[in-house]
Amino acid sequence: MKRIAVIVALAAQASIARAHDFWIEPSTFRPSTGQLITASLRVGQEFIGDPVPRNTQFIDSFTFRQASGEKEVVGMENRDPAGYLRVDSPGLTVIGYRSKANPLSLDAAKFEQFLKQEGLERISAIRAQRHETAKPDRENFYRFAKAVLRNGDGKGARFDQPFGYRFEIVPETDPTSNAPLRVRLLFEGKPLEGALVIAMHRDDPTARIQMRSDKSGRVKLDLPKNGVWLVKSVQMVAAPAGSNADWESMWASLTFER
Amino acid sequence: MGIAHLRALTGGALLLLLASAAAAHEIGTTQVTARFNRDHTYEIDVVTGPASLLTKIEHRRINPAPNLQPLLQLHEKELAGAAEIRFGGRRVQPEVTVLPNDTIRFHGEIPRNAGPFTWRWGLTFSSYALTIGPQQQWLDADATSSPYPLSRELLPPSRTDVIRQYLVLGFTHIVPGGLDHILFVLGIFLLSTKLRPVLTQVTAFTIAHSITLGMTIYGLVSVSPRIVEPMIALSIAYVAIENITTSHLKPWRVAIVFGFGLLHGMGFAGVLKELGLPRSEFLTALITFNAGVELGQLAVIGSAFLLIACWARTRPWYRPRFVVPASAVIAATGIFWTVQRLI
Repeated sequence: MKRIAVIVALAAQASIARAHDFWIEPSTFRPSTGQLITASLRVGQEFIGDPVPRNTQFIDSFTFRQASGEKEVVGMENRDPAGYLRVDSPGLTVIGYRSKANPLSLDAAKFEQFLKQEGLERISAIRAQRHETAKPDRENFYRFAKAVLRNGDGKGARFDQPFGYRFEIVPETDPTSNAPLRVRLLFEGKPLEGALVIAMHRDDPTARIQMRSDKSGRVKLDLPKNGVWLVKSVQMVAAPAGSNADWESMWASLTFER
Repeated sequence: MGIAHLRALTGGALLLLLASAAAAHEIGTTQVTARFNRDHTYEIDVVTGPASLLTKIEHRRINPAPNLQPLLQLHEKELAGAAEIRFGGRRVQPEVTVLPNDTIRFHGEIPRNAGPFTWRWGLTFSSYALTIGPQQQWLDADATSSPYPLSRELLPPSRTDVIRQYLVLGFTHIVPGGLDHILFVLGIFLLSTKLRPVLTQVTAFTIAHSITLGMTIYGLVSVSPRIVEPMIALSIAYVAIENITTSHLKPWRVAIVFGFGLLHGMGFAGVLKELGLPRSEFLTALITFNAGVELGQLAVIGSAFLLIACWARTRPWYRPRFVVPASAVIAATGIFWTVQRLI
């Protein structure tokens, strides 16, 4: 009976529409010099995503960094994969995607559930304080996705150098190495404390880690196995007046293979 | 442009407005088109990449590759479960066909008295467009579409509609549509001035054509119209010629009328097949069409009786001056048609 209840609860949870994660999936995380690779955009949950074709209307910047400098990720409009890039130097390549604002609305119950899932109880508390718990959500959301690729040995791009996104997951150790991963969360250039960071393995849903960032915005993630990982965090703040939304959500992600 | 068109257009504009005001995820690659057909069926085509679909269904990573499409056919149940198709809130279970070009087709019959159509697709995380005719609405991931009312002609007819429609079709297939059947029935009628022989023949004819009409429609028998049609013409000539030679109902005549009835039934079936039968009310339509044919025959006999027989059948000239020449004309026509239909 208990087991049935658990299954029903899981099924109910799975069917709830909510704001979804967003990440970059390159055709390979281990390119070689001179290789042309694709950078697909994905929207989904539990690391299962739908392809997102390139749509200029939503893209604020889509670039990649390697030893030779920073370049545009090119692509064809309305096509998946959204981007193409050529890896021309050894070491790390970091791809970054920043979206424009996108409006989203959720009914109150779904929004409250989403806040809990993403560790944004702080926003729930503000809503409760304002007696707005039953109010539907009107938000603008932004995507800040990054992917780190490795081409043999060599330094390549600096993984610890921020792209300067409004909300960003910045690695402090090389994500492609086997050392425990340290990342720092930066919100408007400053460390963000208490943000929930979730790491998930692409092929093993049980290998999942959740932690809160410390005072200096840092999190140390002991990733239990090799493979492709997605590290994500959501930040939310009140939307500025006149923006036609109550909240602004910022979705940062980092994908890599180790 | 009629008012209905105008209404459809303004409805579309309203839907578009609603859609742009609604929430949106990133736009994915999924596209959905719903069609409602004149034969009261629906088809909903979901065009989407099979790899991400299989990943979601199988809960394990499936990388894009050619030939993934057939694998989807193994997941018919999951696909049908993810496609929530409703008419007026009542969910229908679609059939699932996996087509080439990344298309999954959900199809089935529109239920009788169907309310507005709504659609929900549980296997996407992105926004996609649902296209219904000239209208398009954007749906966010697993959101439910705005209700789409079906126009009356797309709904399966009610039983009363079917009864009325097929009764009329059956009747008009005899009067005024079927001169050959009219002549055959007149041939039967002209044999005798007594009620009993006419009634016996009409009954034999009716039973016979009902049998073959049903059997042909259900595909139990099938005889080419190239055989049936000349035989029907020949049957007309036969009864008319016999009318000239005798005024008594011979036992073989009943058997022959019964046999001809079998042929006429196949002829009726050919016509009914061309008209089409509503799937939802197949038997009703078949029975009422047959009843309409019956009424048509009775109308022919009734008119002939009222116009001539009721006052003239006792006159001495009735047989030599009316029955014989009329039968001769009918026989000639029957022979002419037989030849015409043979070549």
